[in-house]
Amino acid sequence: MTRGRGRGHGRHRDTGGEGGGGGRGFLGPRVPVEVEAMARGVQDVGKEVFRRLLKVTVNALEGKDCKESVKLIAESANLSEEQLAFLISGMYTLLQEALRLPLSTFKQEVFKEDLKELRIPEDFIVDFSSVVFGNRRPTSEGSALIQKSRLPSIQDFKWRVDVAISTSSLARALQPSILMMMKLSDGTAHRFEVPVAKFQELRYNVALILKEMNDLEKRSVLKIQD
Amino acid sequence: MAASEQPPPPPEGSRPLSALLSGIAQAAFHGNADITEELLHGQLYPEAPPEEFRALRAKMGGLLQSIASADMDLNQLEAFLTAQTKKQGGITSDQAAVIAKFWKNHRTHIHESLINQSRWDNVLKNMNWRVDLKSQSRHIDQINTPVAVVEMELGKNGQESEFLCLEFDEAKVSQMLKKLSEIEESMTLLTQTT
Repeated sequence: MTRGRGRGHGRHRDTGGEGGGGGRGFLGPRVPVEVEAMARGVQDVGKEVFRRLLKVTVNALEGKDCKESVKLIAESANLSEEQLAFLISGMYTLLQEALRLPLSTFKQEVFKEDLKELRIPEDFIVDFSSVVFGNRRPTSEGSALIQKSRLPSIQDFKWRVDVAISTSSLARALQPSILMMMKLSDGTAHRFEVPVAKFQELRYNVALILKEMNDLEKRSVLKIQD
Repeated sequence: MAASEQPPPPPEGSRPLSALLSGIAQAAFHGNADITEELLHGQLYPEAPPEEFRALRAKMGGLLQSIASADMDLNQLEAFLTAQTKKQGGITSDQAAVIAKFWKNHRTHIHESLINQSRWDNVLKNMNWRVDLKSQSRHIDQINTPVAVVEMELGKNGQESEFLCLEFDEAKVSQMLKKLSEIEESMTLLTQTT
């Protein structure tokens, strides 16, 4: 907070208040430092550069690698590394906060009003707005936002039943065991052995989970019918 | 300590022997490095001269090794022990009785330990789960659909475990259950034919 204010220009704080723009905006009672800094800095940025920055930010929100495109902007736009950093991180936070709100309750006018209070130029507000409410809204698939709120799931599951015939410690082992291989949605793979007793436990628990889920669904169907 | 766990009837010399067998098993099969030859000697056979004790320990250790490595059932064990009593420099029938009793009590446990010794991969140690119901979400379609969160503990013996947290929807759970049933089937098939 203090860092942002120290660098701040007086004219931006004449609306008073601790956190700059409006206390009840979608950004919460205190506007994040990077958003404030971005709102100040973005005034000196041309429309074309702004659009490029916005595109990069949206890509970042969708989880794409943006190193190259940021480098390109940095070379052509005549912005210092520091300026670039707070512009992009401010836009990122602003969009991230706006995108997490459900469209059913979050109104475009409110969003625009909040940005106006941050003194973001009118043209840019329209662009921001088209990302949050328009056709430039990041796709939910592959969006970094959504991925973050989810645990990985199993994408591929392979198994093998082994029977050890004889080992260095057992002349006659003849004990089956199961080797499992799971590929997860986060790209990692895990291989592990499951002793027979544990396997039965696993199977029992998975069946129990399924039953529990079915029961839950029945209950919520009833609720809707009420 | 192990001696006190053994049921009562101690005819002469059987108590230290069954304790010795426990000690040997701890050291050889369960990887307990604290149980040294000196300890066993001092605690169980303090009066025996070291050479005599060493010979006894080696003999019993060898017998246990053979029994455990073949995972003998009771008939095999009886045949094996009888042969040992008849052999020159073998064991007495009292000793044979103590060994038989020891094996009967510890077979499963020792076998399990030996199986584990040939397991080098991560092993599924434990699992926990919970079923969540999303009540609010950015996407309406996710609301009221249950989600299962499963935590699996994977680890190697004596090493720190790794915890794997996964999310399943209902379709994924039932898919998983189907695969597990396939595994179960293939195992039943295996054990039936052998």
